Amino acid sequence: MDFLVSSVVSALRLIGAFSPDVVDAVGTSLAVSAGATVFAALFGIPLGLLVGLSDFPLKRLVVTFLNTLMAVPTVVVGLLVYGFLSRQGPLGALGLLFTPTAIVIGGVLLAAPIVANYSLASVRGADPRIVPTALTLGAGRFLAVGTLIGEIRFGILAAVIAGFGRVVSEVGVAMMLGGNIRGYTRTMTTAIALETSKGEFAFGMALGIVLMMVALLVNLFLNLLQRR
Amino acid sequence: MRAMYRLDSIRKCYGSNVALDIEELTIGEGRIYTLMGANGAGKSTLLNILAFLSPPTSGEIFYAGKRVDWHHGSVEEHRRKVTLLHQSPYLFGGTVYDNVAFGLKARGIRGEAQQRRVDKALDGVGLQRFRDRKARELSGGEAQRVAMARALALEPEVLLLDEPLANIDRETTGLLETVIASLPARGTTVVLITHDPEQPDRLNGESILLEGGKVATPHPPVRR
Repeated sequence: MDFLVSSVVSALRLIGAFSPDVVDAVGTSLAVSAGATVFAALFGIPLGLLVGLSDFPLKRLVVTFLNTLMAVPTVVVGLLVYGFLSRQGPLGALGLLFTPTAIVIGGVLLAAPIVANYSLASVRGADPRIVPTALTLGAGRFLAVGTLIGEIRFGILAAVIAGFGRVVSEVGVAMMLGGNIRGYTRTMTTAIALETSKGEFAFGMALGIVLMMVALLVNLFLNLLQRR
Repeated sequence: MRAMYRLDSIRKCYGSNVALDIEELTIGEGRIYTLMGANGAGKSTLLNILAFLSPPTSGEIFYAGKRVDWHHGSVEEHRRKVTLLHQSPYLFGGTVYDNVAFGLKARGIRGEAQQRRVDKALDGVGLQRFRDRKARELSGGEAQRVAMARALALEPEVLLLDEPLANIDRETTGLLETVIASLPARGTTVVLITHDPEQPDRLNGESILLEGGKVATPHPPVRR
């Protein structure tokens, strides 16, 4: 028990002292996660809305496929993207492997299915009167869909936040595609894994606390928006 | 008085089920029509067709003398002249003002003109002081009145009402009936679904009875 308490105290000291290693890892994590979330939202939201609002053959198959993508292990996504970005891979010439960009690409693949599925669920759960009401008040198709998006905006925001949560908390993609390079591609999660394996439990604990705080802040932000 | 709608051999089918089968029906301008009939008689189906929300499976509709082409932009144009109010209306998030102004914004009416029409419509249903209230915090009767104001603000040529007075108190019913009864004087045609056999008389309207998707009794001809 003493070990845990002293670790937490040391961790809080590291956070309070703005340890450069902690700041670097937190900054890299937030930057790649935010970047991946933005791109995942750009792909995922329209995809979820499109699937949710339209009827087409094989729709059920597409939904099942999207659901399956949510469960793909991060290391599998890392492996796949590694294959494309490694020197022998089709995109090897771009020299992206072991860069923050590579982590963003992997993050997009992880988060986009989550954003799409949550957006789809929001459309399905929306009040079926929204679009007909907008249409009968003279809205065109475009405005009617825009109105629907406005009405389910918290569901879509939750989708984006869930996507962010997936990226910021994963290890596999960041480790395989980023390479855990100190001050460059080292994220909170890869740093926790590395430092803990080296016996630097307090350092790992410090990053763990920051990671929890990020999750807490993001959810508080969502709650705040929902209350307005 | 011209015909607002003329329905010619209209059928609406859902699979093998024929929901509506009307040989001929004319709805005159500036009058009130009450649609009556048992559940499943095709009243709501007819109202959705009149609102240009759902095309018939076969047959033709003429609106203000023009044939309705369901596959081109003219439907949207017609839809802007007609407003449908449901029994359980949906109010968008935001304020009462935002809701009543929705259709006006869709028509590009902004600024003072928008405010004037919203205020006039809210005044008409006795909800002027609710202007800045959150729409989702209203009672059922108040929400119904806001939905009515939202429809009236558009000054539609035709107002279609799907049991608008069900589930609301007597006082609100009286208020809304007065509003509805005043609409023909402004040139608005009203088609209203009701289960209240006395409502056609109270609204000075003409009855159309639907049975099994067909017009059971010929409605009185449009008076000249």
